[in-house]
Amino acid sequence: MIKINNLSKTYSTGAFTVPALKGITLDIAPGEFVAITGASGSGKSTMMNLLGLLDRPSEGSYLLDGMDVSNLNDDDYARLRNRKIGFVFQAFNLLPRLTALKNVELSMLYAGTKHEERRKRAVEVLTLLGLEDRLHHFPNELSGGQNQRVAIARALINNPAIILADEPTGALDSQTGLEIMSIFQELNRQGTTIVLVTHELNIARHSRRILRMADGLIINDEEIARPLDAHNEIQALREKGGRA
Amino acid sequence: MNIGELILVAIESIKSNKLRSFLTTLGIVIGIAAVIAVVGIGQGGRAMLMQEMEKFGTNMFGIWVNYRDGESFRLDDLQINDITVIKENVPQVKYLAPASYGQMQLRGSKGHKSVQVIGTTADYAQVRNLETVWGRFIRDDDAAVGRRVIVLDERTALKLFGPGNPVGKKVMLMSNSAVVVGVIKSDSSMLGFNSQQIAYLPWSFLSRLNGWEVIHELQGSASSKEEVEAAMNLSKKILERRHHAPNHYYAYSLEQEMESANKVTGIMTLIIGCIAGISLLVGGIGVMNIMLVSVTERTREIGIRMALGARRKDILVQFIIESIVLCLLGGFIGIILGYGGALLVARLAKWPPLVSGWTVLLAVGFSVAVGLFFGIYPANKASKMDPIEALRRD
Ligand SMILES: Nc1ncnc2c1ncn2[C@@H]1O[C@H](COP(=O)(O)OP(=O)(O)O)[C@@H](O)[C@H]1O
Ligand SMILES: [Mg+2]
Repeated sequence: MIKINNLSKTYSTGAFTVPALKGITLDIAPGEFVAITGASGSGKSTMMNLLGLLDRPSEGSYLLDGMDVSNLNDDDYARLRNRKIGFVFQAFNLLPRLTALKNVELSMLYAGTKHEERRKRAVEVLTLLGLEDRLHHFPNELSGGQNQRVAIARALINNPAIILADEPTGALDSQTGLEIMSIFQELNRQGTTIVLVTHELNIARHSRRILRMADGLIINDEEIARPLDAHNEIQALREKGGRA
Repeated sequence: MNIGELILVAIESIKSNKLRSFLTTLGIVIGIAAVIAVVGIGQGGRAMLMQEMEKFGTNMFGIWVNYRDGESFRLDDLQINDITVIKENVPQVKYLAPASYGQMQLRGSKGHKSVQVIGTTADYAQVRNLETVWGRFIRDDDAAVGRRVIVLDERTALKLFGPGNPVGKKVMLMSNSAVVVGVIKSDSSMLGFNSQQIAYLPWSFLSRLNGWEVIHELQGSASSKEEVEAAMNLSKKILERRHHAPNHYYAYSLEQEMESANKVTGIMTLIIGCIAGISLLVGGIGVMNIMLVSVTERTREIGIRMALGARRKDILVQFIIESIVLCLLGGFIGIILGYGGALLVARLAKWPPLVSGWTVLLAVGFSVAVGLFFGIYPANKASKMDPIEALRRD
């Protein structure tokens, strides 16, 4: 799915140059659920931007879904972002003036999907995420968890090869965060490849592989034999709440 | 993304900021309204001018004696025989009448009045499209036998005899008398031609009253509009030959007058068009300014759209369309206001309101052009944004 080799990124701001990634080599297979952790400034977001084709590496090669994307132009990048990648952000990044339905349709708009088809699929996916009675609500009329579910629906809508989520639970309370993780786990069980950035170990432990970054390098790459199950955790929390 | 959807996106974003959008388009509204009003008023005024001029008959022409420095007035420069010769030799001339002008005190049963008198023949009524209210105009046999008859215009008739038909009544002029044989409809022309009061006498009768024969002007009409030029020039040639006086006569036609009137209104339209153009320019700069603000404010939106797969081209087109839609909106309001203005002026001035489809099309075209021209720079700025930077902004 993803094959990067000696990828590095150096930012130059005026007189200074900041090496944000210092030569990373990494394979992610289809169906994996990877969490990237690390201290602030360790290069997690830079990594995600490169994986998401929002930015270009200073050096190294990148194979996405079997295709070498190192030498493609801006338009090709835009097309690949549209077809192969679904973004989920910490701040949801929904357009405030569009309803949930319209926000989800947006990705399909740039894919050139016909109007009726767009409507049909957006309703389908939003229903799958339990938002069937929130289709015509605007972001400011929805809770954080609901907004993040709309964002996940938007990320899923073009059947991307990979979901990239940068701190998707960062703006949510812990129970809502778990609900979002439970959705990711369910999607992953059905075969979706997910790469998630988080600085919270509790969140990372829901994935099946944790990459630890420090100073622009991956310093640890660990398979998780028994990931936490968000669904069970929520049940447990509910029972506890019920008894209290 | 197709154009229809881009237009919807543009409308969506304009709607979300109604007041600002309205204020932004104000310059465009004023510019377009000015264009429409000015062109509408200009065209209406011109149409009215044409209408008025056509009352005289567009086939009309006239010939004057062209006195140059040092030349003195001569009674025989235009003679009654000239008319006969011209009518016999120039087939393009349909009617030709002498006009001898003077001012006379007329006295009727109810009052007296000093009016302009014109000594002429029957053809004059045809040349000037005169309408009789009562009786008849001067006839050729009046002139031939020197009948002492007079034709009044309505207002003069009213002044001299009060309301009612004065045909058959006697008018005293100087120490002579004449019988009223007809009344001519007074000209209600807005242009003020002929607005004085006029009485018509057979030319021969006026000559006898004066004690001399003089023709100040010949007025004629050609068989058709196309033949005016020929009728006029051939008549002039005959006069020059008969009087051995090259360049001694000056001919004019209503056609020519209309053309120069057209030129004047054309220049005025041009000047006011320039003013409208400047206000469109100012309006366009306002639109550009607001589009730049909008692009900055919506940096994050641009980043999101790019992350979702918008190409730079898509962002560029989105903002250009937004700018065009904004200007079109202003344009439509301007068209309505401008049309209202033209209508109002037309109502007040009593002339036909004329805003042609062509003018409206022009206004729409201007709106689109302004939107396109002043939208390019902000849209280009938006499309050049770095998606990561844009996403980071709030
Ligand atoms: N646009 C940029 N210009 C300059 N330096 C940057 C830029 N983006 C990130 N950096 C630097 O690169 C390093 C890695 O940043 P980042 O990938 O955002 O880390 P993380 O997401 O793990 O907190 C940091 O030192 C940061 O200051
Ligand atoms: Mg980060």
